[in-house]
Amino acid sequence: MTDPNAIKNNPFIELGEIPEKKYKEGYIIETAYITVRDGVKIAATICLPKGLPPNAKIPTVLTQTRYWRAMELRIPFRWILDSMVPNAPNPEVVTSRGYALIYTDVRGTGASTGSRTTPFSEEEVKDGYDIVEWIIAQPWSDGNVVSKGISYTGITAEMFARNLHPAIKAVIPGHGFWDPYTDVAFPGGCFDYGFIQMWSFIGKNLDLNNPKVFRQVMPDAWLVVKGVKSVKSDKDLELLNEAITQHKSNQYVYEHTLDKSYRDDQILDGSSFDDFSVFAHKQEIARSNLPILAWCSWLDSGYGDAIIHRFMNTPNPHIAILGDWSHGAILPANQFFPNRTTVTPAPRDKVNAWINFYDKCIYGEGIQGKVIYYYTLVEEKWKKSNVWPPFGHNYQKWYFSDNFTLTQEKPESTVGEDSYKVNFRATTGRNNRWWALLGLPITYENRAKVDEKLICYTSQPLESDTEITGQIILCLYLKSTHDDGSIFAYFEDVDENGKITYITDGEFRVIHRKILTENPPYKILIPYHSYKKEDAAPLVPGEITEIKFGLHSTSVLIKKGHRIKIGIAGADKDTFIRYPAEGRPTITISRNSTYASYLEIPIIKKQQEGEK
Amino acid sequence: MEELLPSLKGMLKEAIDIDNDALNLTITLTVKNKINGVIAEPEEVGIMLKMYGGLTEEIPMEINIDNENQKIILKFKNEEDFMEIAEIFKKIWDNAIDLLYQAIKSDFSRIKNIPDIDD
Repeated sequence: MTDPNAIKNNPFIELGEIPEKKYKEGYIIETAYITVRDGVKIAATICLPKGLPPNAKIPTVLTQTRYWRAMELRIPFRWILDSMVPNAPNPEVVTSRGYALIYTDVRGTGASTGSRTTPFSEEEVKDGYDIVEWIIAQPWSDGNVVSKGISYTGITAEMFARNLHPAIKAVIPGHGFWDPYTDVAFPGGCFDYGFIQMWSFIGKNLDLNNPKVFRQVMPDAWLVVKGVKSVKSDKDLELLNEAITQHKSNQYVYEHTLDKSYRDDQILDGSSFDDFSVFAHKQEIARSNLPILAWCSWLDSGYGDAIIHRFMNTPNPHIAILGDWSHGAILPANQFFPNRTTVTPAPRDKVNAWINFYDKCIYGEGIQGKVIYYYTLVEEKWKKSNVWPPFGHNYQKWYFSDNFTLTQEKPESTVGEDSYKVNFRATTGRNNRWWALLGLPITYENRAKVDEKLICYTSQPLESDTEITGQIILCLYLKSTHDDGSIFAYFEDVDENGKITYITDGEFRVIHRKILTENPPYKILIPYHSYKKEDAAPLVPGEITEIKFGLHSTSVLIKKGHRIKIGIAGADKDTFIRYPAEGRPTITISRNSTYASYLEIPIIKKQQEGEK
Repeated sequence: MEELLPSLKGMLKEAIDIDNDALNLTITLTVKNKINGVIAEPEEVGIMLKMYGGLTEEIPMEINIDNENQKIILKFKNEEDFMEIAEIFKKIWDNAIDLLYQAIKSDFSRIKNIPDIDD
C-alpha cells in the first residue's frame, strides 16, 4: 500500500494496533548446528530477547532460506554490525514482541552441510520437522513455532505446514509461488530464461561461498559482504569448508531447463516443476488446517496469481493480501504513481502486523474463515472479500475492430484482419515483473515508444469509471507463417492526454493452445492449458487457430474518459526465450464476424445503495 | 539499508580509533566495540584499503593483529608509504559510506575503479 490515506479495509490496520514492546533491551544472537535425521547439519542463527528471564518461555518465528541465513561482513562493517540478514524479519521487532527468531540455511546451502538436487525437495521440507523438534527442546521455548518468509523463504514457510507437527501454529508465505511452472519458470509456457539463468548463477555462487559474484550482480552487497556467516562453534571453519565441498554436487534449475518446454518434462533427478510446487501438496497443507497469511503484489511476476490460486484452493483459515509494491515490498511499483519513493507500511510496521497475526493464532482465538484484501490501482483503495472472484464480478467483451480499435460491438463484416511481422527486438527491459524477483524495481516506462514495436488496439474513451478486477482473457483468432511462436499481450490505460500506463500482461506459447475440458489440478478462472507434451501441437502455417489465454491478475480503476489498450508482441527479448528459435513469423489477427478476436474483461459491477 | 547509512558513518568513527605515529612509521587501529574472536585477517586490511580507500597499488607494510587488545598495527618501511596510508585513513569511513550510497543508487562508476580483490 503506498497511499497512506487508504485506511478503510487496510489489512495492516485491521490486523490490530501495535502493542507495547514486551522486551526493550534489544536481542542476543546465538548460532548452532542442528543435526537432522540423516546427519546433515543445518546452520541456525537464533535471536532471543535480551533480558529474557531464565524461566520465561516464548514462541519462535522460523525462517528457512537458501540465500545465506546471515552474512559475514567485511571489515570495518563487521566491527559495528553483527551480521546482515537478508529476507528475514527484523530481529529487533520480532524479539521485542516476545518471540525468538531463528533463521536457518536449508540443506546444501550457506553454512549447512549436505547437497541439493531441487529447490524445496522432500528432504528440505522434512528438515522443518527436525528443526521444530530441536526448537521445542530448548529451555526458552514455549512449544509454539510459526514460520515466515518472502520469496524462497516464503515458500519454505508454506511448505513448513506440510510437516503436520503439532507445535506449528501458523504460516506466513510472502511473495511465493503456487505453481512454479506458470508463476515463474514458464509463464504461459514461455521460458523465463532471464530470471532463471541469473537465479541459478547467484545460487551456485552463494552455495560455493563466492562473494566475487556480487561485484557484477549486486555491487552494493559486494562492498559489504565477505561471505556466509559461519556457526560460532565451528572456530577453525572445518564444517563450513566441508559444507562448501558438499555443495559442489548441487544441481541448478537453469542448466536442466534450457532445453525443456513442458510441464511434465523431467528437469532434475526425475522431478518436474510440479513435484516442488505448492499446489501438488495442497491436501497436506489443508490437512494441517494451519492459519495462513499470504501476501504479495499484483505486479510481482506470476506470484500475484499465486495468491489468488492459494486463496481459491486451500480451505485453511486464511488472510490474503495483494498490494501494489515490488517483490518483497522493497519498492513501490504502482505504475500510475511513478514518483512514489516508499512503500507504506514500512517494513518494521509490516513485521509488527505479522506478529499480531501470530499472537491471534497462538494466544487468541485464531483466524476464522477466509478474507482477501486487495488494492485497486488508480482508485487507491483497499477492498476485501470473502470469496474470489469478488461480488459483482462480470465479464465484458471487447472486440478487435478496424483501424486498430477495441469496441464492444461484434464485427459484422465477413472480412477483416491485421498482419504483424514479429519484432524480436521488442522488450519490456530488465525492470519488469519477472526480473523483479531479483529485487529490482518494476518500471514499465515509455510505453508509447515500446508500443511502436507492437500491434495495438485502443478503445474509445470510457463513458464511466470502470473497475477491472481479476484476470483478463484474450482470445485471438490468428494464423502464422510459422508453426511455433509466442504472444505477449500488454493491457494499458490511456489517459486524456495520451499518456499510456501499463496495467498487466500475459504471455503464451502457441503450441500449448489446446484447451482441456477436464478439471485442472487446481481451480482457475481462465482457460485450462495443461502445458504437457501430449497436448502440445505445432501451428499449421496459414491456418486460422484460436489462441485463448489469461493475463495476470490485476485490480484497477479505468477512469471515465480514459481508454483501454491492448498491445500484442511476439517477443520480450530480455526475459523470455524466443519462439521459434529461428525465422521471423508474420501473424495475422482475424477481426471479422466469423473469427472475432476479443478480450474478456472482468468488470466489477458497482454495488447499489442498500445492496449487500 | 539506505536509511542506515548516515548512522553507519557515525558508528564507524565512534567505534574505531586511528593513531598515527610518524616517528615509528606506524598506524594503529583500535576497535572499541567488543568483538568475539578474530578482529581481522591481515589480508582483509589490504582489501579494506583498496575497496574503500582507493589504494591502487601494493604498499609494503607489516600487519600485526592483536586480537586480545583489538588492535591492528601497520608498520611501514618509509615515510612516503606511511603518509599515503595515513592520508587514506583520514577519510576512509566517509568514502566507504559514500561508495555504498552510490551503489545503492545504482551508480557504479567508482566501484569500477576498484582493483581486483582476491576474496
